[in-house]
Amino acid sequence: MNEPLKQQAAAIGEGNREYLTFTLGDEEYGIDILNVQEIRGYDAVTKIANSPDFIKGVINMRGIIVPIIDMRLKFQLGDVEYNQFTVVIILNISGRVIGMVVDGVSDVVALKGEQIRPAPEFGAVLDTDYIDGLATLEERMVIMVDIEKLMTSSEMGLVDQYVAS
Amino acid sequence: MTIDLSQFYQVFFDEAGEHLGEMESLLLELDVDQPDLEMLNAIFRAAHSIKGGAGTFGFQDMAKVTHVLETLLDRLRKQELHPTAEMVDAFLDAGDVLGAQLAAHREEREYEDERIGQVCARLQALSEDRAPTAGQPSSGTGEPAEGAGGATTDAAALDAAAGQTVWRIAFDPAQAGFDTETPPLADSDSDAGSTRNAGLNALAEALAERGSLTRGIEASGMPVIWRLSTDTGREELLDLFDFVCDASAIEMTAVSAEDAATAADSAPGADRAIEEDPGFGIFADAPGATQAVDQEHSGYGLFGGSPGMERVASTASRDQQEDEQGYGLFDPSPGLPAGLNATATATTDGAAAASGAGEASKSAAVRRPAAAETSIRVSVDKVDQLINLVGELVITHAMLAESGSGLDPVEHEKIFGGLSNLERNSRDLQQAVMSIRMMPISFVFNRFPRVVRDTANTMQKKVTLTLIGEDTELDKGLIERLADPLNHLVRNSIDHGIEAPAVRLAAGKPETGEITLRASHQGGNIIVEVRDDGAGLDRKRLLAKAAERGVPMADNPSDKEVWQLIFAAGFSTAAKVTDISGRGVGMDVVRRNIEQMNGRVEIDSALGQGTRITIRLPLTLAILDGMSVRLGQEIFILPLTAIRESIQSRREQFKSVAGQGQVFQVGGEYLPLVILQNLFHQGRPRVATTDGVVVIVDTHEGRAALLVDELVAQHQVVIKSLETNYRKVEGVSGATIMGDGRVALILDVDELVRLSQQAPGPQPLVEAQGTPA
Repeated sequence: MNEPLKQQAAAIGEGNREYLTFTLGDEEYGIDILNVQEIRGYDAVTKIANSPDFIKGVINMRGIIVPIIDMRLKFQLGDVEYNQFTVVIILNISGRVIGMVVDGVSDVVALKGEQIRPAPEFGAVLDTDYIDGLATLEERMVIMVDIEKLMTSSEMGLVDQYVAS
Repeated sequence: MTIDLSQFYQVFFDEAGEHLGEMESLLLELDVDQPDLEMLNAIFRAAHSIKGGAGTFGFQDMAKVTHVLETLLDRLRKQELHPTAEMVDAFLDAGDVLGAQLAAHREEREYEDERIGQVCARLQALSEDRAPTAGQPSSGTGEPAEGAGGATTDAAALDAAAGQTVWRIAFDPAQAGFDTETPPLADSDSDAGSTRNAGLNALAEALAERGSLTRGIEASGMPVIWRLSTDTGREELLDLFDFVCDASAIEMTAVSAEDAATAADSAPGADRAIEEDPGFGIFADAPGATQAVDQEHSGYGLFGGSPGMERVASTASRDQQEDEQGYGLFDPSPGLPAGLNATATATTDGAAAASGAGEASKSAAVRRPAAAETSIRVSVDKVDQLINLVGELVITHAMLAESGSGLDPVEHEKIFGGLSNLERNSRDLQQAVMSIRMMPISFVFNRFPRVVRDTANTMQKKVTLTLIGEDTELDKGLIERLADPLNHLVRNSIDHGIEAPAVRLAAGKPETGEITLRASHQGGNIIVEVRDDGAGLDRKRLLAKAAERGVPMADNPSDKEVWQLIFAAGFSTAAKVTDISGRGVGMDVVRRNIEQMNGRVEIDSALGQGTRITIRLPLTLAILDGMSVRLGQEIFILPLTAIRESIQSRREQFKSVAGQGQVFQVGGEYLPLVILQNLFHQGRPRVATTDGVVVIVDTHEGRAALLVDELVAQHQVVIKSLETNYRKVEGVSGATIMGDGRVALILDVDELVRLSQQAPGPQPLVEAQGTPA
């Protein structure tokens, strides 16, 4: 256990970046860990009228009102269940706090820049515009997402566009 | 009405400090080659705000400097001049001077320094569109005295730019590490004595290389006092001292040129070379110069910033004498505050000016705590954080109480006792924290009696001020930001609104004009009104001015559209520019500040009868009294101020109009019915039935009926913005956190009514059936 940790520490030391990986359906995604504020369970949300169904509503996180979006609904990934295993990744996107419901959080990995390959046009649930590239981790493919770009996009409707632009 | 203005000084200091900081950062950002007009406007506004505040509190020296500053900025803003790097430098210097003045006022003393005059002269010269060169007449007045004054001052400014500083260097050879056993220089013939005092002489020589050195009396056991006129910076000189002796024992102060001159006169055997410095000429001319510029004219500002110029010099020289009388003391005489000394130190030298100012402010900073102890400025974010944390504490308590409720009260008596203590304490804490934010508006209002009196006196008008609703509580954040706009509005009212007594009498009005400041809560808003019974806005003049300035207007604009013109930047119908108003910035600032608070400014005016300006602020920053209502599973908050009454409805009260809209009959009235459930598309469209409560609310467009499932309770809630992390939601003005930790949305009744009018009717069949007659 110690050995890989050391390797990881060394890898970080070489100016690599760390990514949080999570699963959505059958795909594994990675986001820059600096955008992640915390990970928590799913609480009761307050619905917001006239918002798309993937915006579950808002929660109170220590006095801050945080909108919660369900990526599974956003990308139509079959059954959506809310139970004690449902995970919310709380993101901090340029000062805005947003909660994102995913299927599960897998790992924190350190990757070198060259380990991330450019993504070809392909049919991921995400538009390639929001994909930084692909990385391979122990035979698994991880899709690196530019979470900042995704969350501020007009597609998500999370930000008033004049604010974002 | 007498009100001690000093209680507001701190606010002014803080505000002015902020404005100065803003001005400086904008100046530093300003691209001289491609100036951003918006930026120039912003700089101008900052200067204008400082001027306004300084005028109000009677800090005339600051008002004067800002006035000169503003004159130049105004020309830049109107694009009559093109900004140059030189101007930016001058502005920054002026900013420094203002900062020093501000620091001085904080310590309840006057900042007196020739820098004030220099900066003003420089700005003045720049605004007259020429370089500050010696010999050029200051203005086209043709008055010789003034011309001379201008020339000499300019010469002084040039000299300052050349960077000659006169340093007074005082030290005790014994302490500084020189060998005092050997008789000092003055006691002996210097040729032979050179070995005896080699160190001292070496130092003197080294100094002489860098400028002209005057050696004072040097007697054994006495401190040595030298004067050095040089363009070398302080740091460099100190390095030099370090080289030969213990620099910390050396006291080095820059002295004003006059002191140097007088001292040079009085010092026996002094080297007169110092006086060849061309800058010294000004002091001979000084009385003339000051007199000339004291006249309110465009020449004003040469020394206009400091008519107390002579006083400055005399204070400085007195200071000097005291210093010299105190021979044997190295520190300035104990009676003298260090700050004063530092202030006197910050003199001419262009290069050293910055470090001088730095010194002055440093010493000011050291002395400040006494003034700052009574109040501290805390960012609103921190207070919000406190409120959030306390809210969490209350919720945590509720959870504990919940899980503890199953326990046997006898067996766990202590736990229950502790819980009830915790509850009491956390409630008290919550109240205390909440109260930090709330303040009566009198905090802003109380400064106005003075503003009105002074302004009216200046304008030679008679005005009385009435304050109404001073107890209206309002968020501290709002109060602070309301002060500036109100200041502008009141001054505008006096300057432009209220007519001169004679005019008023002729118009059949009482001689004394009346201004009313009124604050109130209304429909979830805070309304602040500034009303005067003056001349009112002149539609024709505004339109003429708009045409002149090329502001596009509709062919037949409504009054409201015309009134909005006065908010345009640089739009002033005042015939002449005074130091009160007329530059056309006031209203621009007002609107900007109010809009930043998500508020609105409305104007009503009738020619000859007066003007009423209404500031309407939303409660986004404040705490709201609300009624929680249930709608299906969700809880919403209705602002209590909007609620008229609530009625258990009967079926026959619901009527539909033309099969489309629905109305609710109450008394003899029919009110538009808003069915929240339909509006928010929750579940099946709901048809009005009896199983609900109808809440009658006040909106901008009259009353309306809101159908909800149940009224839950009345709360005080903290309003939180949804926009911080999300975006604006229609029909909702914000959100709050309920006692159980859940989020509840706060409804905006005005918007709800508007939304329900836009929304299609509940029956989609209407279209097919056509509208029955």
